[in-house]
Amino acid sequence: MSSPSLSDTQSVDADTQHRIEQFLFREADLLDRFELEEWLSLLDDDIVLRVPVRTARHPGSEQPEFSEESSYLREDYEMIRERVGRLAKEYAWSENPRSRVRHVIGNVRVIDGTDDTLTVANNQHVFRSYGDTADHDMLSAQRHTTLRDEGDVYVITERTVYLDHAILNTKNLTLPLL
Amino acid sequence: MSKPKKTNEQTDISEIIERTGKAVEEGRYPLEILNNADLYRPELRRIFGRTWNYLGHVSEFTEPGDYARRYIGEDPFILTRDESGELHAFLDSCMHRGAQFCTAENGNTSHFRCPYHGWTYKNDGTLQGMPHMGEAYQDLDEEEIRLEEAHLDTYQGLIFGRIADEGPSLEAYLGDFTWYLDVLFATTGEGMTVVGEPHRWESDHDWKTSADNFSGDSYHVLTTHQAGLETETLARGPWEELTDFPGASYLACTDRHSVGYYLSTDADTFMGYPDEITEYLNPELTDEQRDLFGRSVFHFGTVFPNMSIIHGIQSGGWGGPWACIRKWNPRGPGKTETTSWWLIPSELAEDEDFLEESHRGWESLSPGGAFESDDLTIWEGISDSSGAITHELRGTEGNMQQGLGAMTDEVETVDDPLHGPAEVTTKGLYFDERNSRTLLRSWYELMREGDAA
Repeated sequence: MSSPSLSDTQSVDADTQHRIEQFLFREADLLDRFELEEWLSLLDDDIVLRVPVRTARHPGSEQPEFSEESSYLREDYEMIRERVGRLAKEYAWSENPRSRVRHVIGNVRVIDGTDDTLTVANNQHVFRSYGDTADHDMLSAQRHTTLRDEGDVYVITERTVYLDHAILNTKNLTLPLL
Repeated sequence: MSKPKKTNEQTDISEIIERTGKAVEEGRYPLEILNNADLYRPELRRIFGRTWNYLGHVSEFTEPGDYARRYIGEDPFILTRDESGELHAFLDSCMHRGAQFCTAENGNTSHFRCPYHGWTYKNDGTLQGMPHMGEAYQDLDEEEIRLEEAHLDTYQGLIFGRIADEGPSLEAYLGDFTWYLDVLFATTGEGMTVVGEPHRWESDHDWKTSADNFSGDSYHVLTTHQAGLETETLARGPWEELTDFPGASYLACTDRHSVGYYLSTDADTFMGYPDEITEYLNPELTDEQRDLFGRSVFHFGTVFPNMSIIHGIQSGGWGGPWACIRKWNPRGPGKTETTSWWLIPSELAEDEDFLEESHRGWESLSPGGAFESDDLTIWEGISDSSGAITHELRGTEGNMQQGLGAMTDEVETVDDPLHGPAEVTTKGLYFDERNSRTLLRSWYELMREGDAA
């Protein structure tokens, strides 16, 4: 199991697919540019953001590959807002100067949904380099995002980031990398 | 992210080892020991090959067949509970051609089968058999085929392993530090339990840097974690009672291990645990251990060489209380793979509200957290620059002189049984670097003795 099953892929009309993709692309751009105050405005007050721990398991193991108990992040709106506030401080050393971040998002599919709530899966590679070096990190993941359609805008009500790493190869998982 | 590491051209490492031993007594140390390819293999052999190394917690291995891949130095061991309930740690190396046979991080199995030629071992490390055994191995001494096994012992649920056949018992190795491990891991009658899966990450820092940081360095918190501490809206819990952080802090050092802690004047603080914690207290704790736990806000420490501990409620209101065990697995000169386990008192395992707050505290000190992300950036820089040729050519020494001689009159030795059998100082977390000197002195004492037999 590389990520939770996507057998429930649901077909949506081209307009909806287009709107969802444009939303995710714009959101990724805000993250890449550390426009985090504006990014916060896309989140629902009751949002839950999770990045579960992944474990290398033998095929046939009864235990899940993605932990149901432990996560790198499991945040509500208040904690996310505090993190954004923390990053804004000049002595948040890990992001001063800012990392150079770039999301590449693809394989966007609706996997569940009702009239006004859709759950969307996307694959992503997130590039990050930092400081005066040629080094970089590459984080690979599949995101599941639940969006509430408020007519003219979408609001993110839930997100889980399923990392493709059993051992993280990055010195920090700052919010814009998710 | 990895860079080529410096290879020191001096082949005689005894010079730098002796220089370190001498410098430490004056509160200095050669910076180059934090990224030095010549010292790395000797560290694995002389330190990790001979000391007791933390491998896991008994709560992770409750059923026969439970296993996990764990490391002593860089050596891959498989920690198992066998069918009769006994714990073992085997090297992941088949006795036929040396192939690895454990591909998962953890799981449950009665047997391990090598994928190369099919040799199969029971989870007690003895040979079960191999393909064509009757034809190919008619004169084999089956008793002789046994996986290489580390010596194991446990203390308060903590499982330690040692490669060397000779050496002190675990209890002798831990010495007076067992008193503090009781306060940290035997607070309640049922003891601690590991929850979920550990955080794991690789970074370009030396294992000694993080072991030193956790051994009792609150001095760095003021600067490194300033952004995390200036939280505006989160509830701060017992930290609000502590108006004078240095004044509330203590440092306890034994000859190898050390722990720092913050105490409240409120005897019912109990690290911010839910009130019912007092119903679960371990009756085997002494009155002093119970009182210390009662006044405790936050503890952190290091068991030499590479196990560190946190137990308490996070500062800045970032969650908790929780307990965390860290393992700094060496992965090359100036390179470490960190494993970070989350533990809670077993009696609170069903309390959902507590679990949420506790997880929040644990994750605050992870690569995703508000605190450790800043440490990691700094620690990688230490490793990078410690490999500088300038340091090697000039013999540059870093400074750890706090608390030495007339350096500060702030630090005072505490003479109160509340603080246990170690040497304890007030304000030691801020103004005394005895913990750092203890760690490097331990490093020196093991490195100078030459290779293990």
